[in-house]
Amino acid sequence: MTILIKPLTRAKLLCFALTFTVVCNAFYTKRQFYPSVVYLTKSSTSLAVLYVQAFVFFLLVGKLVQRIFLGQLRAIETEHLYDRTWFSVTETCLAFTVFRDDFSPRFVGFFAVLLFLKCFHWLLEDRVDYMEQSPVLGRVFHGRIISLLSLLLLCDYLFITTAYSHTLVKGASVQIVFGFEYAILLVSVISTGTKYLLHSIEIRTGEQWENKGVFMLYADLILGFCRLVLYMIFMLVMMRIHTFPLFAIRPMFIAMRAFRKSCTDVIESRRAIRSLNTLYPDLSAEELATVTDTTCIICREEMLVQQSIKRLGCQHIFHKNCLRSWFQRQQTCPICRTTVLRPLGAQLLGTPGQAPAGAQAAAGVAAAAPAGATGATPPPNAAGQSLPGVIQGNGGQAGANGLSPPPFFNFTPFNLNNLSNTNNPPSQSQQTSLPFGPFSTVLPPFAFPPPPLPPLNFSGMSEESIRAMEETELQHVQARIQCLRNVQNLLDASMLQMQTYMNIVQTQSNMNNSNTILQDLNLDTERVLQPRNSKQSLNELPGTTTSETIIDGNESPTEPAFIRRRRVEHFTSPHNLISPDASTSMSTATTTNSEIDNNDDKK
Amino acid sequence: MALKRINKELQELEKDPPANCSAGPVNDDMFHWQATIMGPGESPFQGGVFFLSIHFPADYPFKPPKITFTTKIYHPNINSNGAICLDILRSQWSPALTISKVLLSICSLLTDPNPDDPLVPDIARLYKTDREKYNQTARTWTNKYAM
Repeated sequence: MTILIKPLTRAKLLCFALTFTVVCNAFYTKRQFYPSVVYLTKSSTSLAVLYVQAFVFFLLVGKLVQRIFLGQLRAIETEHLYDRTWFSVTETCLAFTVFRDDFSPRFVGFFAVLLFLKCFHWLLEDRVDYMEQSPVLGRVFHGRIISLLSLLLLCDYLFITTAYSHTLVKGASVQIVFGFEYAILLVSVISTGTKYLLHSIEIRTGEQWENKGVFMLYADLILGFCRLVLYMIFMLVMMRIHTFPLFAIRPMFIAMRAFRKSCTDVIESRRAIRSLNTLYPDLSAEELATVTDTTCIICREEMLVQQSIKRLGCQHIFHKNCLRSWFQRQQTCPICRTTVLRPLGAQLLGTPGQAPAGAQAAAGVAAAAPAGATGATPPPNAAGQSLPGVIQGNGGQAGANGLSPPPFFNFTPFNLNNLSNTNNPPSQSQQTSLPFGPFSTVLPPFAFPPPPLPPLNFSGMSEESIRAMEETELQHVQARIQCLRNVQNLLDASMLQMQTYMNIVQTQSNMNNSNTILQDLNLDTERVLQPRNSKQSLNELPGTTTSETIIDGNESPTEPAFIRRRRVEHFTSPHNLISPDASTSMSTATTTNSEIDNNDDKK
Repeated sequence: MALKRINKELQELEKDPPANCSAGPVNDDMFHWQATIMGPGESPFQGGVFFLSIHFPADYPFKPPKITFTTKIYHPNINSNGAICLDILRSQWSPALTISKVLLSICSLLTDPNPDDPLVPDIARLYKTDREKYNQTARTWTNKYAM
């Protein structure tokens, strides 16, 4: 470094000496002030010397300003400065070729000032980035940064207004270029200022500030967009007034790339963090106790119970905050690199026997089903385990009745849809949590829409496309059958639950009229299992006047039976007014049934 | 965050130093380290001591450290500026990696160069076509610069 500086100082001294001799020579030969000045500006050698002197003067001023506002430069800062200055000088030379008609000392001076200010913008940027690396920063540092920041802001603003007023008064000229250059510099000062603000807030709080990364991402996005728009407008304006601005290509390309990167960063990190929040549950204290190595591999610190800890799909566990910071850059597991963005919904259409279990898993993962679904009371599990038997029994029964075993339930939509519309809005009925556990398991499988229907008209399709469609359609048909099997299983399960309820009623109600109720309930279940002719048979149901007395007699055990009754009422007389207290149970019935309807309609 | 983690890594390195490697901060700047790698036994770099400089980014460990050889070395994946062509130092970086693991990777890169993804194509060609000459040149360079 010293070897480098010494020739430089020597060159500067030489330059001063040269200027001194040139000026002295002029005064010596001309003797008077005015003629000597004229001589100096006319003679090309003395002009050259004066230009070099001006350049040296500029460098010295630059050094002074740097000493005042930045102190000693770090090695990396000098390196960056040289790199960027090199590019900037080549671009300036290119710009000179565009404006060769306006070429004048004044014009060169403007460019020199621009370059000078640019250098300080870069240095300030580097210095602010350095804040993150140095733990201890004195007051002097903050004072310097803030004053340089405001000075640059003021300069940029002044130059922009000058360029603007100049363009307004004298029409389009080179000042447009300066105006845009300073506008872009202004954007960069604002971005540096935002970074400085975020860093100093973090330093002030003393803690690691998890949201800082998010703010930085968004600030980058917004300011990158501003920069890009400025460059675009600049390009268009230049192309209209002068020619294609070759010198602005490189910075514009860089701005474009940066903007694209910040765009994808924001989108991807948002996706990853959303899936982090929704798909992966927090680790509980018990779960953490079973883990042998509780060091978070990202920050190398112990994971404690009070901290929020996440387990990814690949079973690796990390601090949630560490993962968030990592997902802002990449969306993979740090250990095994499995992506966290893959949706898990694909495997949820389980095999027929596992429908309720699959439904519970779906409720846990998709978070679309009501929270009560997973916490269902024992009956659904029992139903799930004994399902095969039920299916067989059901098939036999249906066969005996002379009906084909129902592959799906073809409820006529007339009463159900009307009811769901009149009693509560459909959207609400979808969301309503169910009053008793067992039926909640019915919901989740319908959360997955069946595959799309094939086009009705095959004419006009080529041989290949039909053949290609054949394959996808086969898969779709299989998926539909799967769907229907799930429907069947769930209905069988609910039928089993009905039987359980009837048993309860049978054992616990000692009243005279219990027999009639049992008959009614039996009719109900039969009707549920034979829905094809439900319309006719439901209308033939006997009157249900005895339910009130049962409720009065023994409340708790027959409550489900009461709800069943209400449902039967609603089947028999769909347009009747239903008492408000029963509307919740109604809604469950309509929800499940109308969903079956929807499902079947789609097929 | 970055400083904490770098300190942890330094402690771990002191507690459990990796074979043939060492690393530590230059002066008091925790973000600038110097590392040494002893030339692996089964390679032409045997006996050499190679110095590397490590610069940690401000958002370490979310971004990879910048590692360069300061000692000249004859290797298809390391150029004359000391830049290393290693995927885990670029796109394949993960916060689960540490300086000690990265240094071990560089050690294994010295033993088994990757001539299919070279930084210096000439050396890679020689490595593929005339292994004996490559070994000889690498040994000469090691003797000249790393001993």
